[in-house]
Amino acid sequence: MDKNVKIIEITDDKFPKSLKEAVKNLITSAEIKRLYYKGNWCPEIFENCLAVVGSRHLTSYGKKATEQIVTEVALAGVTIVSGFMYGGDEAAHSATVKCGGKTIAVMPCGINRIHPESQKDLYEEILKKDGLIISEYEGLAQPQQWTYVQRNRIVAGLCKAILVTEATENSGTLITAGYAKKFGKKIFALPGQITSGLSKGPNRLIKEGAEIVTEAKDILDFYKISRSKANLPAGKKLVLGSSLEQKIIEQLQREPMKADELSRLFLLPSSQIGTTLTLMQLKGFINLDNGKYHIN
Amino acid sequence: MLIKVPSVANLGLETIKVDIEVNLANRGLPGFEIVGLADKAVAESKERVRTGITSSEIDFPQKKITVNMAPADVPKEGSTYDLPIAVGILSSVLNFPIPEKSLFLGELSFDGSLRHTKGAFLMALFAKEFGFENLFVPLPSANEAACIKGLKVLPVENLTQICQHLLGQKDILPIVYQPAEESIFDKPEFDMKEVLGQEQAKRAMEIAAAGGHNIIMVGSPGSGKTMLARALPGILPPLNEAESLEVTKIFSASGGIPPGGSLIMQRQFRAPHHTASLVGLVGGGSKPQPGEISLAHRGVLFLDEFNEFPRTIMEAMRQPLEDGYLTISRAKQRVVYPADFMLVASANPCPCGYAMHPKKTCSCAPTQIAKYQKRISGPILDRIDLHIAVMPVDAEEFKNNQQGSEFLEESSKIKKRVVLARQKQQARFASEKIHSNSQMKNNHIKKYCTLTSDVEEILRQASLKFNLSARSYMKLIKVSRTIADLDSSVEILVSHMAEALQYKPKNFESA
Repeated sequence: MDKNVKIIEITDDKFPKSLKEAVKNLITSAEIKRLYYKGNWCPEIFENCLAVVGSRHLTSYGKKATEQIVTEVALAGVTIVSGFMYGGDEAAHSATVKCGGKTIAVMPCGINRIHPESQKDLYEEILKKDGLIISEYEGLAQPQQWTYVQRNRIVAGLCKAILVTEATENSGTLITAGYAKKFGKKIFALPGQITSGLSKGPNRLIKEGAEIVTEAKDILDFYKISRSKANLPAGKKLVLGSSLEQKIIEQLQREPMKADELSRLFLLPSSQIGTTLTLMQLKGFINLDNGKYHIN
Repeated sequence: MLIKVPSVANLGLETIKVDIEVNLANRGLPGFEIVGLADKAVAESKERVRTGITSSEIDFPQKKITVNMAPADVPKEGSTYDLPIAVGILSSVLNFPIPEKSLFLGELSFDGSLRHTKGAFLMALFAKEFGFENLFVPLPSANEAACIKGLKVLPVENLTQICQHLLGQKDILPIVYQPAEESIFDKPEFDMKEVLGQEQAKRAMEIAAAGGHNIIMVGSPGSGKTMLARALPGILPPLNEAESLEVTKIFSASGGIPPGGSLIMQRQFRAPHHTASLVGLVGGGSKPQPGEISLAHRGVLFLDEFNEFPRTIMEAMRQPLEDGYLTISRAKQRVVYPADFMLVASANPCPCGYAMHPKKTCSCAPTQIAKYQKRISGPILDRIDLHIAVMPVDAEEFKNNQQGSEFLEESSKIKKRVVLARQKQQARFASEKIHSNSQMKNNHIKKYCTLTSDVEEILRQASLKFNLSARSYMKLIKVSRTIADLDSSVEILVSHMAEALQYKPKNFESA
């Protein structure tokens, strides 16, 4: 076994209490006996945990909102817990390590396996930034359909509250939310457009009584932490060139748009719009993501 | 009695003279033999000639007939020697001389009439070069041969007619070349006007057509990639005379010219399916035939579902994409076929196809997407100048909102700009071997694309921001040169370079 891997028994004093409490009432087969982990296990990391879970197929809106909220929450000292899947989990983990916060990744596979393998860099970054990698499976065990669900109960159990960013109906993300509800944790949900399939999950949670999150303060208030603005990146000042750039910015502030939509809107040839968009991109005003231009 | 009838053999695009020597001997048992490396189709010519002559109500001579095809070491193939063999025999029977400076070619039918035969155009080119004056070709192939001016092309309908002509009883009148009328098949399937939305993709098509740049479109199913590609022929500049000859040559060699056909004036649009074989695509076979890439010479090769093409086929296209020709080497012969085509490729962004779809959710894992995109190898992507993302258009939006529909341009309008840009390139490269911006090599770029400091600054910023490789740097300069040509600008301006940056390779993953 990898010498970096350590084991903690549920009977250990250092075992996080919130998780122990949470799984106590589950049926016997869902009990946790021990956890394998990599990284520096100190009880403080479990003090204020927030689970951030989202769909594997996060939209650019979900990604942006996750980054915005998680960065601020993590900077305030809250540990971000998630499941290390691509999409929503990845966005939460990487936003945290980017701003220097602490994060815990709960793996659905053996502790010695990196899954998904494409996120190896992120994996190493988490450990480098004093985060934790946790799994209840040993060795190189492959993830199975059921281990993802089992993993979710640990994610939910570790935290005081959970933030659901984007989820379709009947998704794994909502299973985590279900566990959180069962464990009596606070549930936050990120509101989204009613036409978006990926916002159906969080919107339903809001309807059922989850707390709506529109800024990091909503979450920090729950943890009774006042937010410190000091470390936040300052807002950029835009120095706009032409009036067309001004008009494009105004449009993009309302919603991200494709180049074609802009040229139809302003009745301008695609070549002119393309030229302007490139120049604005080079100046750092806007950003192309998934075929649509966003305000930076 | 020995008779010599001149004909030709086409080896790929090269033509050599073949003498058909017919000997009718009075001694020995009556028979009919052909010697001189003849293949099955040539050997079977015996039966066609025998029956053809009998059907023309001429007695087939009861003599020992031997036909030799010289030079004897070059393999002869096909049915093109029926006419010279028959003429040789008839000349002995009916006692007429073989006219001088003449070439004969054609396949016989059992009733003595002549059928459309491939290669008539190549023979005419050969005749012109080596000073032959009279060409005897089947009537359906005569127009094809008459494309070449300064020759007397005599259309032969049947054996009786040619005998009357050679006996001096009734002359066959030489055919006057008639360019074929534009048939409905030559019209592009779609007009650019019919493509709703996709302003950027259409603009990219215009640039590609103007500079001969290779282009790849990536987008979800139903977003209009195929429609855009099929509308492309409508904005391509017409072939010039030299190009037209090159294309017609390839088609004549492969038998692709229909009866009564003439010079090919349109750029070809070839769209082979991804199940096509390697030989079918790049050419080959024991008697090397031109493949789709050669048939697309000076035209467009459209490869739909590009990442479904087998790796071997993609890699085989690398060399022709770079050189503009392909050498097919086989044990018996080596043939060079030109293959200077514009590659238009389309691909889905991921296996399920919906990675960039605004409404549908993609069900692929990032590793799957990466694997799918890796199917197109780096060296091939390197040779593609324009990369565009095609997003599905909301049909409802256009139904309810006709605003801007007057901005939908017809193909003919775009074509005018493309033709002008091509003319500028022809003038620029008059002293070079290349003829379009896409073919520029580094030394041409240095010579013809001097960048102002402003443009260089934009490029520098962009290469930092977008991590551009040295090769994409060069591609951007080539594309911006074409955009400047479309804009009738002598210099490459900042706006041209900025627009070119819109068509740089994209990373379709969320990162």
